[in-house]
Order: sequence, then C-alpha cells, then structure tokens
Amino acid sequence: MVLKTELCRFSGAKIYPGKGIRFVRGDSQVFLFSNSKCKRYFHNRLKPSKLTWTAMYRKQHKKDIAQEAVKKRRRTAKKPYSRSIVGATLEVIQKKRSEKPEVRDAAREAALREIKERIKKTKDEKKAKKAEVAAKQQKTQGKGNLPKGGAPKGPKLGGGGGKR
Amino acid sequence: MRTVLKVVDNSGAKKVMCIQALKGKKGARLGDTIIASVKEAMPNGKVKKGKVVYGVVVRAAMQRGRCDGSEVKFDDNAVVLVDKQGQPIGTRVFGPVPHELRQKKHVKILTLAEHIA
Repeated sequence: MVLKTELCRFSGAKIYPGKGIRFVRGDSQVFLFSNSKCKRYFHNRLKPSKLTWTAMYRKQHKKDIAQEAVKKRRRTAKKPYSRSIVGATLEVIQKKRSEKPEVRDAAREAALREIKERIKKTKDEKKAKKAEVAAKQQKTQGKGNLPKGGAPKGPKLGGGGGKR
Repeated sequence: MRTVLKVVDNSGAKKVMCIQALKGKKGARLGDTIIASVKEAMPNGKVKKGKVVYGVVVRAAMQRGRCDGSEVKFDDNAVVLVDKQGQPIGTRVFGPVPHELRQKKHVKILTLAEHIA
C-alpha cells in the first residue's frame, strides 16, 4: 500500500510518501523533515531534545517507557536445545543429563580415590629410592657424615593430593 | 541570470555566472543546462576566465519536487561544466548530486559523482 514511511530527523514523526522535505547538506548528509516546522527549527539551530513534542525529548525524559517494558516481558523462556556437538554425540549428552546425582557422586569419589592411591604410590616409591641413595652414600662416605640425601625430601605430596 | 554558481568539477573554473537558461521561461532548476560565463578560474585549467561555457546544475538551494511527491533542496548552488553534447569537461565531480540527472540523461556525471542524494 504505502511505499515506505520514513522518519523525520527532527521530530521522529512518520513521513508518508508525498510529504516531507529532503535537505542535502554540503557534506552529503541527508536530512528528512516531515514539515516546514521541523525544517525551520532545524535551520534556526534549535535542539529537538529541548522541544517537548519531539520523539528525542520523550526518549530522553523517559516518557512511555513503562508500556514498552510490559511488552518486552511477554517473550517466552528458551528451552534447552538437544543437539549433538563435536566430541559428544546426542546419546552421550542425554545419558549424562539423565544421570542421577548419587551416581555422579559415586563416580566422582571413585576418581578421587584413584588419584589419592596413585599419589601415595609415587610417594612411597620416591621414599624408597631416597633411602637407597642415602644408604649407598653412607657406605661410601663413612660413618661421620650425616646422610645428605635424607634432608631435602622435596615438596610435600600428601598435602597436594588431599585437596583434590 | 546573473546567478553565480560554484563549479564542482576539476575543469579549472571556480565560479561561473549564468547568462542564459536553455529551457524554461522561469529559469533553470535542478538538473537543467545553462549557458554561463566563467568569472573565476584556477591558473592552470582547461577553461579560462571570460570563456562562455555550458553547465548542468547539480545542486540548487531552491527545492525541486520529486516523482514521489517529496522535495529536495541542497545547501548551495553548484554546476558541472559540460560541452555542447552534454559530456562533462572535467574528470571528477565533488559533493552530492541528485537522482534527477538520470532522467536528463547525464549519466556520465552520475558515474563520476561521489554521493548520489
């Protein structure tokens, strides 16, 4: 029906085809005015944000915002979308989603226990190695010297494993 | 008549004064051709001062109605120099030019323009 209603640059009103004045400034900027009132005010360098009847003023002084806020609230909540991604097919995702919390906890504890045992094993191994080295040194160096290998034991592994 | 227009191409002239509007009893408007006399020119240019040239009005402060009913007006009065056949003398056109030139078959000026309003 209508070609396209433009918006007035000054007042924000709709400009129907056949109305309005188009002003092209020297710097190639185009201004659309809905009537000669807006055009006159523009040329007299009045500010639309200071004239109560313009859209700019209403926006600045926050008139009519309550209505817009009510409209926005009507949007429905987004549902979680089931789709397979690279690295996890749809079945894997669904299985993980439907896992019960007890099962998850049990799995987590099992993993923790494994890690702790692993660390304990490495700690014991290191202790055994150090003891061997210390024993060897004692034999070669003589009885007087204290075993130097025993003092620096390295960072405490027990504390790190427990936190995990 | 006697209107001093700005020249917005690089033909060498700076200001021309209209001495005759080729069409229209009331005077030339946006998109019309005029006969003009060069009043001010750049020192090394294709046209010299005092020469009589043809020009196409590309910007007019007087509004001109468009087909859809709206009106266009520009900030200043400007002209592009052409020869008798309608081909522009210069090689560049500065500033905005209106759509109306297409109807008047000044396609060359449109292609050279940097902004079509």
